[in-house]
Amino acid sequence: MERMDLFRTVATRRTDEIVVMTMTATLQWPLVSQHELDFDFLAFGMGHASDFGMGLALARPERKVIVWKGDGGLLMSLGSLVTLGRYGPENLVVFLLENRSYELTGGQPLPPRADFVALALAAGVEGGGATGRGVVERIDQLEVFAVRLPSFLTEPGPHFVVLPVHTTEPLPPVNHTDHAGRIRRLRAGLGLED
Amino acid sequence: MTTLGVSAGAMVDALCELGFTHALIIPDSESRLLFEALHTEPAIRVISPMREGESIAIAAGLWTGGAAPVLIIQNTGLMEAGDALRGCGVGPKVPLRLVVGWRGYAGAAAGHCPIDSAFTYTEPLLEAWGVPAWHLMSDADLPVLAEMDRTAARTSHPAAVLTGYAFRS
Repeated sequence: MERMDLFRTVATRRTDEIVVMTMTATLQWPLVSQHELDFDFLAFGMGHASDFGMGLALARPERKVIVWKGDGGLLMSLGSLVTLGRYGPENLVVFLLENRSYELTGGQPLPPRADFVALALAAGVEGGGATGRGVVERIDQLEVFAVRLPSFLTEPGPHFVVLPVHTTEPLPPVNHTDHAGRIRRLRAGLGLED
Repeated sequence: MTTLGVSAGAMVDALCELGFTHALIIPDSESRLLFEALHTEPAIRVISPMREGESIAIAAGLWTGGAAPVLIIQNTGLMEAGDALRGCGVGPKVPLRLVVGWRGYAGAAAGHCPIDSAFTYTEPLLEAWGVPAWHLMSDADLPVLAEMDRTAARTSHPAAVLTGYAFRS
């Protein structure tokens, strides 16, 4: 699937969900969304975007938290799948962008045999999470993703969804700046700061 | 004579008084009794991630979302989690509150050799990150928890207490 098509699909349906993104997703998501509850996790901690998202989801159970993260990032904190399987809240949705490479650093290949659905299943995410309603799935077609998306945004999870992607659209330049400002803007969007 | 080591029950009471909502803790030898005591306290939700970098990122998300987490973390785990502390705490000015188990302190204080390198590098590392730290060695030191909490809030920066002895019953 073309990654930007996934982003456009979610941005069209998104209302008041928090969206956390990292790595190349931070370059392309802003092309389809400028929402006050968008959060750019780039350079906050390698591999930890979904952990940060879990903390947000635990603190804000009234709204969904969507995390866009890559397969390379997941491999940097693989144990977080087990944490997701044990504590993952119902309002957390992790979209794993599977491009089989460290795209931002030049496309170096990932270990070719890693099966991210199998890893999530083995980590206890399916039927797991804080209330035993975790869901793991893999979606290969944009049309199927569009059909399933409303359930991710309304039904209890945590949802862990593996999405094989590629991109043919040009990437904007990387911007690592203003970490404190990003946090403050999100807190302001949540009504926690002015 | 002061009894070395903090009572696990008194520590949980102090954490409750400060209003912490979540405790991120990975079991270690010195915090075993605190780990058990926290699980009997309904006011604080206990989360045990698989590795300390996860703990820090989850805590940062909790704080960003309006909760009040405390990280209970051994110095060795803190060293492993350096990038997470930099990226989720120090850099973005997230006021993480840390209770750091100072492995090696008790042996060094008793004059035992060889000295655990985990003891040696703990304070210099916190200093390098600009994380202020207070010593919490007995129940008499418990007021430093509130001082650490106030400092983190006032500076919007991580702050820590260092526990040099195992929590006791």
